[in-house]
Amino acid sequence: MNLKILWMYHDLMDLYGDKGNAEVLRVRAEKRGIETTIDTCDIGQTVNMDDYDLFFLGGGADKEQNLIFEDLLKRKEDIRKAMDDHTAFLLICGGYQLFGKYYKDQDGNVVDGLGFFDYYTEASDRSHRCIGNIAVETTMDGETFKAVGFENHGGQTKNVASPFAKVLHGYGNTWDGGQEGFLNDQVLATYMHGPLLPKNPKIADKILERALKKRYGKVTFDPLDDTLEMKAQEVMLKRLHCEH
Amino acid sequence: MNNSLKLVQWTHKVLKKMGRGGSLPGELGLRLDPHFLEKFQMPGIVVLVTGTNGKTTTSNLIAESLRASGLKVINNRRGDNLNVGIATLLACNSDADFHVQAQAAVIEVDELTLYRQFKNLHPTHLVVTNFFRDQLDRAGEMETIIRKIQDVTADFTGDLILNGDDPNTLRIADTAKKAKVHTFSVCRNAVSQDSTDEASEGKFCPRCGNPLKYEYYQYSHIGRFHCEKDDFGVIHPDIQVSEINYDTESFTVDGQQFHNFINTIYAVYNCASVLTVLKSLHFDLKAADQVFRTFVMKEGRNEEFALSQPCVINLIKNPTGANEVMKYINAQEGDKNICIFLNDNDQDGHDVSWIWDAHFERLNTPEVKKIVCSGLRAYDMALRLKYEGLEDRILVIENSSEAIHWLNEQNLKSYVIATYTALHPTRAILRKEASK
Repeated sequence: MNLKILWMYHDLMDLYGDKGNAEVLRVRAEKRGIETTIDTCDIGQTVNMDDYDLFFLGGGADKEQNLIFEDLLKRKEDIRKAMDDHTAFLLICGGYQLFGKYYKDQDGNVVDGLGFFDYYTEASDRSHRCIGNIAVETTMDGETFKAVGFENHGGQTKNVASPFAKVLHGYGNTWDGGQEGFLNDQVLATYMHGPLLPKNPKIADKILERALKKRYGKVTFDPLDDTLEMKAQEVMLKRLHCEH
Repeated sequence: MNNSLKLVQWTHKVLKKMGRGGSLPGELGLRLDPHFLEKFQMPGIVVLVTGTNGKTTTSNLIAESLRASGLKVINNRRGDNLNVGIATLLACNSDADFHVQAQAAVIEVDELTLYRQFKNLHPTHLVVTNFFRDQLDRAGEMETIIRKIQDVTADFTGDLILNGDDPNTLRIADTAKKAKVHTFSVCRNAVSQDSTDEASEGKFCPRCGNPLKYEYYQYSHIGRFHCEKDDFGVIHPDIQVSEINYDTESFTVDGQQFHNFINTIYAVYNCASVLTVLKSLHFDLKAADQVFRTFVMKEGRNEEFALSQPCVINLIKNPTGANEVMKYINAQEGDKNICIFLNDNDQDGHDVSWIWDAHFERLNTPEVKKIVCSGLRAYDMALRLKYEGLEDRILVIENSSEAIHWLNEQNLKSYVIATYTALHPTRAILRKEASK
């Protein structure tokens, strides 16, 4: 078995250690004997998106996000085709927002998103951002479990048809909505940095399963020794009083 | 006569008698009078030092160099760079009428505090060391900080001393049109590289958005760069380091040799900024060399403790600083143990994701025997190392005293790296352990 990951704009959309997610996916796949390739794709670079099992897009600073957006729009049909062909998607923060209908900034300017989903994002004013540790409970591919991360976003994402998780501590999509991210069979989109995957090995494995499903159908993994991972998660859950 | 100042100065005296320092006097002053900082009559020379990394070292080097030039100088030498620290410094060194009793003040100022207090401090000189990605949850994006500093320096008429090899600082020259701009630059040397995997911000020309072309990188995005479209980055430095010799621990400016106090590339940049300040004041650069020769890094900056084998502690607070500390550790020969204290208190930044932006894979050398992870986020650090293939060498000891005690028992040279709030407690533990 082999796994092919496409990491979009790796040196522009790399805020908050999101690159750690790629590293975790590679290591966890290789420990299961799955040969893993991670290719990067920069602005203007030609790639055949359909060749990949997983599409990964992280978050970036505002300036960087504006730079990549035009390029991403040009790839809309390629991305749609990859989606139709059952590619898995992991989208963090800015990546999450860009897949929605639109983004409305502080001055009321509306930037159209890729429009794959019905959710949209509105900026809150500059001095109010959702910042801090976050704990959630998700049901992903039939299994319910907790996850932790760090959120840092001004955008308020609304009209999310199927959220990724219920917020136990922190903000999530909006100040008070109690819900975090977007999830369907293929796409996990979230505001959770940290980075997301090191302390949430279950999510990492689910994403690997989704990616491999494209070419290999259902796969089952041998468990790995996740003592350190679960310990790191437990420390944060305890601190946020979410351990039970 | 001012009662709040009197009370602040009295508090300082009492605390001093009790053998205590700290920023309490300044905090009191600002509580009693929100306009406290605006009231001081500042000396004729006021040098503010800001930037992401190297503020404390650079401002101490400048203060010492001005002293060596014969001036009476005050400075916040311990790096108390927020409002309260600055208020303490000024209050404790002024007469009863807010006249600061010195010929020069050298003040390290936190990047966020700078734009709030810039005008109140009446600076004659502003030194900007560099801008790297830092604590995002506390400081916001680097871009925001730079813009705010551009705002407050727009009508600054004093001397602006900028790192000419950092696009993020050099761009301030474009907007500070009334200032006397001075730059410093460092030539290609043994550690320079044609490409880098460290740069994160500053890839694009701030004027036109084109990618910047680099002739060489020194570390992170620091290096000689220019924009092919509009010549941003083409500079005529006031201080040009023309050679670095790491064997003799020295560097050359205008044919004159200077001592490189910790023999790293970032220390050369610290020194170059100091020389630029002296040159702007038309002072003899020799005064600085005396300081570079005798300057001892202390208080957690390459500070050595005599455990069973020598133990050196360094502060880390962002990816760039961490990368440079790891390069330094790797350059030290022989087997060694490492101990990392990762905290996530307010001053460390609550978001520890920056450890994934730093190149911890550099610790994966045969000389590194064990890596102890400690502090509030010890397990996050352990995970970071695990995913670099260091699983077999990780040891988590959450309790700081036990972690240091373990290091001492191994009878092997060791390197401790600690985030801001772990630094001083760990130094105290090291002192205790060393005296056993």
